[in-house]
Amino acid sequence: MEFILNTARMVDNDQAKEFIFGNEITLEQKLAIAFLNAKDFEKLKLKPNLNLKISNQNGEITVKALIDEDVPQRTVLMPVSIWSNQLVSIVNEEINYKNIKVNLESTSNSIIKFKELLNRIKGNK
Amino acid sequence: MKRIPCSGCSLLCDDVIIRSDGIYIDEVIGACIKGKERFDQTTAKNRIINPMIRKNGELQKVSWDEALDKTLKIIKNTSNPLLYGFSTVSCEAQLKGIELARMINGFIDSNSTICQGRLLNKAKETGITLTTITEIINKGDLIILWGANAAESIPRLLNKILFSRGKFRMTGREIKTLIIIDPVKTASFGVMGVRDIALIIEPNKDLDLIRILKEECCKADSIPSEGVAGIDKDDLKRLLLHLTGAENGVIFAGQGLLNSDLGSDVLKEFLELIQMINLKQEKGRISVILMGGHYNMTGFEHVALSAVGKNHSLQFSNGEFVDTEKTIISKIESEDFDSSIIVGTDPISHLAKRLSSKLAKKPLILIDNRNSSTLNIADVVLPTALTGIECEGLAYRLDHVPIELQKIINPPNKVPSDEELLEKIIHKLKT
Repeated sequence: MEFILNTARMVDNDQAKEFIFGNEITLEQKLAIAFLNAKDFEKLKLKPNLNLKISNQNGEITVKALIDEDVPQRTVLMPVSIWSNQLVSIVNEEINYKNIKVNLESTSNSIIKFKELLNRIKGNK
Repeated sequence: MKRIPCSGCSLLCDDVIIRSDGIYIDEVIGACIKGKERFDQTTAKNRIINPMIRKNGELQKVSWDEALDKTLKIIKNTSNPLLYGFSTVSCEAQLKGIELARMINGFIDSNSTICQGRLLNKAKETGITLTTITEIINKGDLIILWGANAAESIPRLLNKILFSRGKFRMTGREIKTLIIIDPVKTASFGVMGVRDIALIIEPNKDLDLIRILKEECCKADSIPSEGVAGIDKDDLKRLLLHLTGAENGVIFAGQGLLNSDLGSDVLKEFLELIQMINLKQEKGRISVILMGGHYNMTGFEHVALSAVGKNHSLQFSNGEFVDTEKTIISKIESEDFDSSIIVGTDPISHLAKRLSSKLAKKPLILIDNRNSSTLNIADVVLPTALTGIECEGLAYRLDHVPIELQKIINPPNKVPSDEELLEKIIHKLKT
Protein backbone atom coordinates (compact mmCIF):
# COMPACT_ATOMS: atom_id res chain seq x y z
CA MET A 1 0.00 0.00 0.00
CA GLU A 2 1.46 3.39 -0.99
CA PHE A 3 2.09 5.93 1.76
CA ILE A 4 3.95 9.19 2.32
CA LEU A 5 6.80 8.93 4.82
CA ASN A 6 7.61 11.95 6.95
CA THR A 7 10.58 11.90 9.30
CA ALA A 8 10.71 14.25 12.28
CA ARG A 9 12.77 15.01 15.35
CA MET A 10 10.96 13.89 18.49
CA VAL A 11 11.94 14.58 22.07
CA ASP A 12 10.97 11.12 23.31
CA ASN A 13 12.43 9.34 20.32
CA ASP A 14 15.75 11.07 19.96
CA GLN A 15 18.64 9.28 18.33
CA ALA A 16 21.41 11.30 19.98
CA LYS A 17 19.85 10.73 23.43
CA GLU A 18 19.70 6.97 22.93
CA PHE A 19 23.30 6.85 21.76
CA ILE A 20 24.42 8.84 24.81
CA PHE A 21 22.29 7.33 27.55
CA GLY A 22 20.81 4.14 26.15
CA ASN A 23 21.92 0.90 24.59
CA GLU A 24 21.17 -1.07 21.44
CA ILE A 25 17.88 -2.30 22.89
CA THR A 26 16.56 1.15 23.78
CA LEU A 27 17.88 2.44 20.45
CA GLU A 28 15.65 -0.06 18.65
CA GLN A 29 12.70 0.44 21.00
CA LYS A 30 12.75 4.21 20.57
CA LEU A 31 13.75 4.55 16.93
CA ALA A 32 12.79 1.42 14.97
CA ILE A 33 9.18 2.56 15.09
CA ALA A 34 6.62 4.13 12.79
CA PHE A 35 3.42 5.99 13.68
CA LEU A 36 0.25 5.41 11.72
CA ASN A 37 -3.37 6.45 11.87
CA ALA A 38 -5.66 3.80 13.44
CA LYS A 39 -7.58 3.43 10.18
CA ASP A 40 -4.40 2.71 8.24
CA PHE A 41 -3.31 0.33 11.00
CA GLU A 42 -6.50 -1.60 10.40
CA LYS A 43 -6.25 -1.46 6.60
CA LEU A 44 -2.74 -2.90 6.77
CA LYS A 45 -4.10 -5.72 8.98
CA LEU A 46 -1.49 -4.92 11.59
CA LYS A 47 -1.68 -6.76 14.89
CA PRO A 48 0.46 -6.54 18.03
CA ASN A 49 2.50 -9.56 16.97
CA LEU A 50 3.15 -8.20 13.47
CA ASN A 51 5.63 -5.59 12.32
CA LEU A 52 5.65 -3.08 9.51
CA LYS A 53 7.76 -3.45 6.39
CA ILE A 54 8.51 -0.08 4.77
CA SER A 55 10.24 -0.05 1.43
CA ASN A 56 11.00 2.12 -1.59
CA GLN A 57 13.69 2.33 -4.26
CA ASN A 58 16.20 3.48 -1.61
CA GLY A 59 15.89 0.60 0.78
CA GLU A 60 13.78 -1.56 3.02
CA ILE A 61 13.32 -1.73 6.78
CA THR A 62 11.11 -3.58 9.23
CA VAL A 63 9.98 -1.61 12.26
CA LYS A 64 7.32 -1.67 14.94
CA ALA A 65 4.06 0.07 14.02
CA LEU A 66 2.35 2.29 16.59
CA ILE A 67 -1.00 4.08 16.45
CA ASP A 68 -1.07 7.87 16.53
CA GLU A 69 -4.36 9.56 15.74
CA ASP A 70 -2.58 12.83 14.96
CA VAL A 71 -0.92 11.30 11.91
CA PRO A 72 -3.07 11.83 8.82
CA GLN A 73 -4.26 8.87 6.82
CA ARG A 74 -1.88 7.53 4.17
CA THR A 75 1.03 9.11 6.03
CA VAL A 76 3.61 7.28 8.10
CA LEU A 77 5.69 9.22 10.60
CA MET A 78 9.10 8.08 11.83
CA PRO A 79 11.63 9.65 14.20
CA VAL A 80 14.80 10.76 12.39
CA SER A 81 17.26 7.91 12.77
CA ILE A 82 19.49 5.45 10.99
CA TRP A 83 16.30 3.39 10.39
CA SER A 84 14.31 6.10 8.65
CA ASN A 85 17.36 7.28 6.74
CA GLN A 86 17.53 3.96 4.88
CA LEU A 87 14.52 5.26 2.96
CA VAL A 88 15.24 8.95 2.46
CA SER A 89 16.02 10.04 -1.06
CA ILE A 90 18.39 12.45 -2.76
CA VAL A 91 16.77 14.80 -5.26
CA ASN A 92 18.68 17.56 -7.07
CA GLU A 93 21.67 17.05 -4.77
CA GLU A 94 19.54 17.60 -1.68
CA ILE A 95 18.43 15.07 0.89
CA ASN A 96 14.69 14.69 1.10
CA TYR A 97 13.64 13.84 4.67
CA LYS A 98 9.94 14.51 4.08
CA ASN A 99 7.16 13.44 1.75
CA ILE A 100 8.94 10.28 0.63
CA LYS A 101 6.88 7.73 -1.28
CA VAL A 102 7.03 4.33 0.40
CA ASN A 103 5.22 1.01 0.32
CA LEU A 104 3.87 -0.44 3.53
CA GLU A 105 2.88 -3.98 4.40
CA SER A 106 2.48 -5.97 7.57
CA THR A 107 5.04 -8.70 8.16
CA SER A 108 5.89 -11.35 10.68
CA ASN A 109 9.60 -10.59 10.20
CA SER A 110 11.54 -9.20 13.16
CA ILE A 111 12.52 -5.57 13.49
CA ILE A 112 15.78 -4.89 11.71
CA LYS A 113 18.63 -4.61 14.22
CA PHE A 114 21.03 -1.68 14.54
CA LYS A 115 24.04 -3.94 13.86
CA GLU A 116 22.41 -5.23 10.69
CA LEU A 117 21.86 -1.69 9.45
CA LEU A 118 25.49 -0.86 10.19
CA ASN A 119 26.64 -3.95 8.27
CA ARG A 120 24.54 -2.86 5.30
CA ILE A 121 26.22 0.54 5.38
CA LYS A 122 29.72 -0.76 6.05
CA GLY A 123 29.63 -3.26 3.21
CA ASN A 124 33.09 -4.70 2.80
CA LYS A 125 34.99 -2.18 4.89
CA MET B 1 24.57 29.33 41.89
CA LYS B 2 25.53 30.72 38.52
CA ARG B 3 23.56 31.83 35.49
CA ILE B 4 24.99 30.39 32.28
CA PRO B 5 24.03 29.92 28.62
CA CYS B 6 22.90 26.42 27.71
CA SER B 7 24.30 24.63 24.65
CA GLY B 8 21.48 22.06 24.48
CA CYS B 9 20.08 23.48 21.24
CA SER B 10 20.28 26.49 18.94
CA LEU B 11 18.22 28.70 21.28
CA LEU B 12 21.23 28.97 23.62
CA CYS B 13 19.01 29.95 26.59
CA ASP B 14 21.00 32.37 28.71
CA ASP B 15 18.82 32.02 31.79
CA VAL B 16 19.76 28.53 32.98
CA ILE B 17 21.03 28.40 36.55
CA ILE B 18 23.47 25.80 37.76
CA ARG B 19 24.92 24.89 41.11
CA SER B 20 28.43 23.50 40.85
CA ASP B 21 31.51 23.12 43.02
CA GLY B 22 33.70 23.32 39.91
CA ILE B 23 34.14 19.54 39.86
CA TYR B 24 30.57 18.30 39.40
CA ILE B 25 27.33 19.95 38.36
CA ASP B 26 25.00 19.40 41.30
CA GLU B 27 21.87 21.09 40.08
CA VAL B 28 20.47 22.51 36.85
CA ILE B 29 17.50 24.88 37.10
CA GLY B 30 15.42 26.18 34.23
CA ALA B 31 16.77 23.96 31.46
CA CYS B 32 14.43 22.08 29.13
CA ILE B 33 14.69 18.35 28.49
CA LYS B 34 17.35 18.92 25.84
CA GLY B 35 19.35 21.24 28.06
CA LYS B 36 19.14 18.83 30.97
CA GLU B 37 20.39 16.03 28.73
CA ARG B 38 23.28 18.22 27.59
CA PHE B 39 24.43 18.67 31.21
CA ASP B 40 23.84 14.98 31.94
CA GLN B 41 26.22 14.10 29.10
CA THR B 42 29.15 15.03 31.31
CA THR B 43 28.67 11.81 33.26
CA ALA B 44 26.82 9.69 30.69
CA LYS B 45 27.88 6.07 30.57
CA ASN B 46 28.42 6.18 26.80
CA ARG B 47 30.58 9.30 26.95
CA ILE B 48 33.79 8.90 24.97
CA ILE B 49 36.76 9.95 27.06
CA ASN B 50 39.59 7.90 25.54
CA PRO B 51 41.07 8.08 22.06
CA MET B 52 40.48 4.92 20.06
CA ILE B 53 41.80 3.23 16.93
CA ARG B 54 40.16 0.43 14.97
CA LYS B 55 42.35 -2.67 15.09
CA ASN B 56 41.21 -5.94 13.52
CA GLY B 57 37.74 -4.50 13.09
CA GLU B 58 37.35 -3.43 16.73
CA LEU B 59 37.81 -0.01 18.30
CA GLN B 60 40.52 -0.17 20.96
CA LYS B 61 41.58 2.42 23.52
CA VAL B 62 45.03 3.84 22.75
CA SER B 63 47.23 6.68 23.96
CA TRP B 64 46.78 10.19 22.57
CA ASP B 65 50.16 9.93 20.82
CA GLU B 66 49.15 6.74 19.02
CA ALA B 67 45.74 8.13 18.06
CA LEU B 68 47.24 11.38 16.74
CA ASP B 69 49.96 9.49 14.83
CA LYS B 70 47.26 7.40 13.16
CA THR B 71 45.27 10.58 12.42
CA LEU B 72 48.29 12.19 10.79
CA LYS B 73 49.02 9.04 8.83
CA ILE B 74 45.50 9.05 7.37
CA ILE B 75 45.68 12.76 6.56
CA LYS B 76 49.12 12.50 4.96
CA ASN B 77 48.06 9.53 2.84
CA THR B 78 45.12 11.38 1.35
CA SER B 79 45.00 14.17 -1.17
CA ASN B 80 41.30 14.96 -1.19
CA PRO B 81 39.99 14.94 2.39
CA LEU B 82 36.50 15.89 3.46
CA LEU B 83 35.80 17.74 6.72
CA TYR B 84 32.19 17.71 7.84
CA GLY B 85 30.04 18.62 10.86
CA PHE B 86 31.18 21.60 12.94
CA SER B 87 27.68 22.63 14.08
CA THR B 88 28.16 21.41 17.66
CA VAL B 89 31.54 23.03 18.24
CA SER B 90 32.52 26.60 19.05
CA CYS B 91 33.24 29.25 16.43
CA GLU B 92 36.90 29.07 17.49
CA ALA B 93 36.93 25.35 16.61
CA GLN B 94 35.14 26.07 13.33
CA LEU B 95 37.89 28.53 12.45
CA LYS B 96 40.52 25.90 13.26
CA GLY B 97 38.61 23.43 11.07
CA ILE B 98 38.80 25.86 8.14
CA GLU B 99 42.51 26.39 8.85
CA LEU B 100 43.04 22.61 8.79
CA ALA B 101 41.02 22.25 5.58
CA ARG B 102 43.18 24.94 3.95
CA MET B 103 46.36 23.26 5.13
CA ILE B 104 45.44 19.80 3.81
CA ASN B 105 43.66 21.03 0.67
CA GLY B 106 40.37 19.65 1.84
CA PHE B 107 36.70 20.39 1.41
CA ILE B 108 34.86 21.58 4.53
CA ASP B 109 31.13 21.85 5.07
CA SER B 110 28.71 21.99 7.99
CA ASN B 111 25.37 20.34 8.73
CA SER B 112 23.75 23.62 7.76
CA THR B 113 24.11 22.73 4.08
CA ILE B 114 21.44 20.04 4.43
CA CYS B 115 19.39 22.13 6.85
CA GLN B 116 18.80 25.85 7.31
CA GLY B 117 21.71 26.83 5.07
CA ARG B 118 19.61 25.99 2.04
CA LEU B 119 17.25 28.85 2.78
CA LEU B 120 20.12 31.23 3.52
CA ASN B 121 21.75 30.34 0.21
CA LYS B 122 18.51 30.97 -1.61
CA ALA B 123 18.23 34.32 0.16
CA LYS B 124 21.31 35.46 -1.76
CA GLU B 125 19.03 35.66 -4.82
CA THR B 126 15.97 37.16 -3.17
CA GLY B 127 16.99 38.83 0.08
CA ILE B 128 15.59 37.88 3.49
CA THR B 129 14.12 39.79 6.42
CA LEU B 130 15.60 38.40 9.61
CA THR B 131 14.78 39.23 13.21
CA THR B 132 15.94 38.33 16.69
CA ILE B 133 14.36 36.36 19.51
CA THR B 134 14.50 39.46 21.73
CA GLU B 135 12.58 41.43 19.11
CA ILE B 136 9.89 38.75 19.02
CA ILE B 137 9.70 38.54 22.82
CA ASN B 138 9.29 42.29 23.09
CA LYS B 139 7.27 43.18 20.03
CA GLY B 140 5.98 40.07 18.30
CA ASP B 141 2.26 39.72 17.67
CA LEU B 142 2.20 36.95 15.05
CA ILE B 143 4.17 33.72 15.27
CA ILE B 144 3.97 31.21 12.44
CA LEU B 145 5.52 27.76 12.61
CA TRP B 146 5.77 26.49 9.05
CA GLY B 147 6.89 22.87 8.91
CA ALA B 148 8.48 23.37 12.29
CA ASN B 149 7.68 21.49 15.49
CA ALA B 150 9.16 23.95 17.97
CA ALA B 151 7.77 22.18 21.04
CA GLU B 152 10.05 19.19 20.37
CA SER B 153 12.97 20.57 18.38
CA ILE B 154 13.62 23.73 20.43
CA PRO B 155 11.53 23.09 23.56
CA ARG B 156 11.73 26.51 25.24
CA LEU B 157 11.20 28.57 22.11
CA LEU B 158 7.42 28.92 22.44
CA ASN B 159 7.81 29.47 26.15
CA LYS B 160 9.97 32.49 25.46
CA ILE B 161 8.31 34.04 22.43
CA LEU B 162 4.65 33.16 22.85
CA PHE B 163 4.00 33.33 26.57
CA SER B 164 6.33 36.21 27.37
CA ARG B 165 5.24 39.75 28.13
CA GLY B 166 7.16 42.19 25.95
CA LYS B 167 9.26 44.98 27.36
CA PHE B 168 7.40 47.59 25.32
CA ARG B 169 3.90 46.21 25.76
CA MET B 170 1.63 45.71 28.72
CA THR B 171 0.24 42.61 27.04
CA GLY B 172 1.59 39.14 26.35
CA ARG B 173 0.06 35.91 25.08
CA GLU B 174 -3.34 37.57 24.67
CA ILE B 175 -2.20 39.68 21.71
CA LYS B 176 0.02 37.03 20.16
CA THR B 177 -1.48 34.84 17.46
CA LEU B 178 0.08 31.47 16.75
CA ILE B 179 -0.40 29.90 13.32
CA ILE B 180 0.93 26.42 12.62
CA ILE B 181 1.22 25.09 9.08
CA ASP B 182 2.02 21.39 9.13
CA PRO B 183 0.72 18.16 7.61
CA VAL B 184 0.95 16.41 10.99
CA LYS B 185 -0.67 17.55 14.23
CA THR B 186 2.57 17.87 16.16
CA ALA B 187 3.16 18.56 19.86
CA SER B 188 3.33 22.29 19.08
CA PHE B 189 -0.41 22.26 18.36
CA GLY B 190 -0.87 21.59 22.08
CA VAL B 191 -0.19 25.22 23.02
CA MET B 192 -2.78 26.68 20.67
CA GLY B 193 -5.53 28.88 22.06
CA VAL B 194 -8.94 29.76 20.65
CA ARG B 195 -7.72 32.64 18.50
CA ASP B 196 -4.79 30.71 17.03
CA ILE B 197 -5.01 29.00 13.65
CA ALA B 198 -4.09 25.39 12.94
CA LEU B 199 -3.58 24.77 9.24
CA ILE B 200 -3.21 21.10 8.43
CA ILE B 201 -1.73 21.20 4.98
CA GLU B 202 -1.71 18.23 2.62
CA PRO B 203 1.76 16.66 2.39
CA ASN B 204 4.04 18.25 -0.20
CA LYS B 205 1.59 21.06 -1.00
CA ASP B 206 3.53 23.97 0.51
CA LEU B 207 4.31 25.37 -2.91
CA ASP B 208 0.61 25.44 -3.83
CA LEU B 209 -0.06 27.39 -0.64
CA ILE B 210 2.80 29.83 -1.28
CA ARG B 211 1.65 30.43 -4.85
CA ILE B 212 -1.96 31.11 -3.93
CA LEU B 213 -0.86 33.53 -1.20
CA LYS B 214 1.35 35.31 -3.74
CA GLU B 215 -1.53 35.48 -6.20
CA GLU B 216 -3.88 36.79 -3.53
CA CYS B 217 -1.29 39.44 -2.63
CA CYS B 218 -1.42 40.70 -6.22
CA LYS B 219 -5.11 40.21 -6.91
CA ALA B 220 -7.81 39.75 -4.28
CA ASP B 221 -10.21 36.80 -4.59
CA SER B 222 -7.71 34.50 -6.27
CA ILE B 223 -8.39 31.74 -3.76
CA PRO B 224 -10.63 29.04 -5.21
CA SER B 225 -13.81 28.33 -3.26
CA GLU B 226 -12.66 24.80 -2.37
CA GLY B 227 -9.47 26.17 -0.82
CA VAL B 228 -5.90 25.06 -1.54
CA ALA B 229 -3.67 22.25 -0.27
CA GLY B 230 -6.38 20.96 2.04
CA ILE B 231 -6.83 24.37 3.71
CA ASP B 232 -10.21 26.01 3.29
CA LYS B 233 -10.73 29.44 1.79
CA ASP B 234 -11.72 31.19 5.01
CA ASP B 235 -8.62 29.96 6.81
CA LEU B 236 -6.43 31.10 3.93
CA LYS B 237 -8.01 34.54 4.07
CA ARG B 238 -7.45 34.70 7.82
CA LEU B 239 -3.83 33.67 7.28
CA LEU B 240 -3.27 36.43 4.76
CA LEU B 241 -5.06 38.96 6.94
CA HIS B 242 -2.70 38.15 9.79
CA LEU B 243 0.35 38.22 7.52
CA THR B 244 -0.46 41.64 6.11
CA GLY B 245 -1.86 43.08 9.33
CA ALA B 246 0.70 42.01 11.93
CA GLU B 247 2.90 44.66 13.47
CA ASN B 248 5.78 42.31 14.06
CA GLY B 249 5.26 38.86 12.60
CA VAL B 250 7.77 36.05 12.31
CA ILE B 251 7.76 32.81 10.36
CA PHE B 252 9.86 29.99 11.78
CA ALA B 253 10.84 27.92 8.75
CA GLY B 254 11.43 24.29 9.67
CA GLN B 255 12.56 21.16 7.90
CA GLY B 256 8.99 20.58 6.73
CA LEU B 257 9.21 23.65 4.51
CA LEU B 258 12.86 23.17 3.60
CA ASN B 259 12.12 19.67 2.41
CA SER B 260 8.90 20.12 0.56
CA ASP B 261 8.67 19.57 -3.16
CA LEU B 262 12.37 19.48 -3.88
CA GLY B 263 11.78 19.42 -7.62
CA SER B 264 10.74 23.08 -7.59
CA ASP B 265 12.06 26.29 -6.13
CA VAL B 266 9.85 26.32 -3.05
CA LEU B 267 12.37 28.21 -0.93
CA LYS B 268 12.80 30.97 -3.50
CA GLU B 269 9.03 31.33 -3.84
CA PHE B 270 8.67 31.37 -0.06
CA LEU B 271 11.17 34.24 0.25
CA GLU B 272 9.46 36.09 -2.60
CA LEU B 273 6.15 35.70 -0.77
CA ILE B 274 7.63 37.34 2.33
CA GLN B 275 8.83 40.24 0.21
CA MET B 276 5.41 40.63 -1.41
CA ILE B 277 3.68 40.56 1.98
CA ASN B 278 6.06 43.16 3.34
CA LEU B 279 5.24 45.43 0.41
CA LYS B 280 1.57 45.10 1.32
CA GLN B 281 2.27 45.53 5.02
CA GLU B 282 0.91 48.73 6.45
CA LYS B 283 1.74 48.37 10.12
CA GLY B 284 5.03 46.51 10.36
CA ARG B 285 6.80 43.56 8.80
CA ILE B 286 7.09 39.80 8.55
CA SER B 287 10.51 38.27 9.28
CA VAL B 288 11.96 34.79 9.03
CA ILE B 289 13.91 32.71 11.53
CA LEU B 290 15.49 29.45 10.42
CA MET B 291 14.97 26.52 12.76
CA GLY B 292 18.36 24.82 12.78
CA GLY B 293 18.63 22.58 15.82
CA HIS B 294 22.36 22.22 16.54
CA TYR B 295 23.62 24.82 18.94
CA ASN B 296 26.17 26.43 16.64
CA MET B 297 24.94 25.61 13.16
CA THR B 298 24.53 29.31 12.46
CA GLY B 299 28.06 29.97 13.69
CA PHE B 300 29.66 28.11 10.81
CA GLU B 301 27.91 30.39 8.33
CA HIS B 302 29.43 33.44 10.02
CA VAL B 303 32.89 31.97 10.54
CA ALA B 304 33.16 30.66 6.97
CA LEU B 305 31.89 33.93 5.55
CA SER B 306 34.37 35.99 7.51
CA ALA B 307 37.27 33.59 6.86
CA VAL B 308 36.91 33.07 3.10
CA GLY B 309 33.87 35.06 1.92
CA LYS B 310 31.56 32.08 1.42
CA ASN B 311 29.23 30.69 4.07
CA HIS B 312 29.38 26.97 3.25
CA SER B 313 30.98 24.23 1.12
CA LEU B 314 34.56 25.50 1.10
CA GLN B 315 37.08 23.81 -1.19
CA PHE B 316 40.79 24.47 -0.79
CA SER B 317 43.52 23.69 -3.31
CA ASN B 318 47.22 24.57 -3.02
CA GLY B 319 46.39 26.34 0.22
CA GLU B 320 43.92 28.66 -1.49
CA PHE B 321 40.15 28.85 -1.41
CA VAL B 322 38.58 27.67 -4.66
CA ASP B 323 34.97 28.52 -5.37
CA THR B 324 32.96 25.41 -6.15
CA GLU B 325 29.34 24.49 -6.76
CA LYS B 326 29.86 21.23 -4.92
CA THR B 327 28.28 20.58 -1.54
CA ILE B 328 28.83 17.86 1.02
CA ILE B 329 26.12 15.84 -0.75
CA SER B 330 27.57 16.04 -4.24
CA LYS B 331 31.09 15.43 -2.92
CA ILE B 332 30.06 12.21 -1.22
CA GLU B 333 27.64 11.20 -3.98
CA SER B 334 30.38 11.46 -6.63
CA GLU B 335 32.92 9.91 -4.23
CA ASP B 336 35.10 12.98 -4.75
CA PHE B 337 37.06 12.42 -1.52
CA ASP B 338 39.53 9.90 -0.21
CA SER B 339 39.11 10.29 3.57
CA SER B 340 36.94 12.19 5.99
CA ILE B 341 37.30 14.07 9.26
CA ILE B 342 33.92 14.21 10.97
CA VAL B 343 33.55 16.72 13.80
CA GLY B 344 30.72 16.60 16.34
CA THR B 345 28.11 14.94 14.17
CA ASP B 346 26.79 11.54 13.12
CA PRO B 347 26.52 11.42 9.31
CA ILE B 348 26.24 7.64 9.19
CA SER B 349 22.90 8.04 10.97
CA HIS B 350 21.62 11.25 9.47
CA LEU B 351 22.64 11.04 5.82
CA ALA B 352 20.74 9.00 3.27
CA LYS B 353 21.98 5.41 3.08
CA ARG B 354 23.38 5.98 -0.42
CA LEU B 355 25.69 8.63 1.04
CA SER B 356 26.53 7.00 4.35
CA SER B 357 27.62 3.81 2.53
CA LYS B 358 30.04 5.83 0.41
CA LEU B 359 31.34 7.72 3.43
CA ALA B 360 31.90 4.45 5.28
CA LYS B 361 34.09 3.05 2.50
CA LYS B 362 36.93 5.54 3.03
CA PRO B 363 39.14 6.13 6.09
CA LEU B 364 37.20 8.13 8.67
CA ILE B 365 38.49 10.16 11.62
CA LEU B 366 35.82 11.07 14.17
CA ILE B 367 36.20 13.98 16.59
CA ASP B 368 33.30 13.73 19.04
CA ASN B 369 32.43 13.04 22.65
CA ARG B 370 29.57 10.61 22.28
CA ASN B 371 28.62 7.23 20.94
CA SER B 372 27.04 7.22 17.48
CA SER B 373 26.61 5.16 14.32
CA THR B 374 29.62 6.99 12.89
CA LEU B 375 31.71 5.89 15.87
CA ASN B 376 30.86 2.31 14.94
CA ILE B 377 32.58 2.64 11.56
CA ALA B 378 35.30 5.20 12.40
CA ASP B 379 38.98 4.27 12.05
CA VAL B 380 40.13 6.80 14.64
CA VAL B 381 38.05 8.36 17.43
CA LEU B 382 39.33 11.49 19.18
CA PRO B 383 37.22 12.60 22.16
CA THR B 384 36.74 16.24 23.07
CA ALA B 385 35.26 18.34 25.86
CA LEU B 386 31.64 19.53 25.91
CA THR B 387 31.64 23.17 24.83
CA GLY B 388 29.62 25.38 27.15
CA ILE B 389 30.22 23.06 30.11
CA GLU B 390 33.81 21.81 30.02
CA CYS B 391 35.28 24.55 27.86
CA GLU B 392 34.30 28.01 26.73
CA GLY B 393 33.70 29.32 23.24
CA LEU B 394 31.54 31.49 21.05
CA ALA B 395 28.32 30.24 19.46
CA TYR B 396 25.66 31.90 17.32
CA ARG B 397 22.04 31.56 18.37
CA LEU B 398 19.48 30.57 15.72
CA ASP B 399 18.70 34.28 15.18
CA HIS B 400 22.38 35.02 14.43
CA VAL B 401 23.12 36.60 17.82
CA PRO B 402 26.55 35.62 19.22
CA ILE B 403 26.53 34.14 22.73
CA GLU B 404 29.63 33.46 24.81
CA LEU B 405 29.52 29.92 26.22
CA GLN B 406 31.22 29.33 29.54
CA LYS B 407 33.35 26.69 31.20
CA ILE B 408 31.88 25.30 34.42
CA ILE B 409 33.84 22.15 35.17
CA ASN B 410 36.98 20.43 33.91
CA PRO B 411 36.56 17.74 31.26
CA PRO B 412 37.09 14.11 32.29
CA ASN B 413 40.41 12.47 31.52
CA LYS B 414 41.79 15.89 30.50
CA VAL B 415 40.22 15.58 27.05
CA PRO B 416 40.96 18.70 25.00
CA SER B 417 38.41 21.08 23.55
CA ASP B 418 37.62 20.76 19.83
CA GLU B 419 39.66 23.90 19.25
CA GLU B 420 42.67 22.58 21.17
CA LEU B 421 42.53 19.22 19.41
CA LEU B 422 42.31 20.74 15.94
CA GLU B 423 45.18 23.10 16.84
CA LYS B 424 47.23 20.09 17.96
CA ILE B 425 46.63 18.33 14.62
CA ILE B 426 47.56 21.51 12.70
CA HIS B 427 50.70 21.93 14.81
CA LYS B 428 51.75 18.31 14.25
CA LEU B 429 51.19 18.64 10.51
CA LYS B 430 53.44 21.71 10.45
CA THR B 431 56.31 20.00 12.26
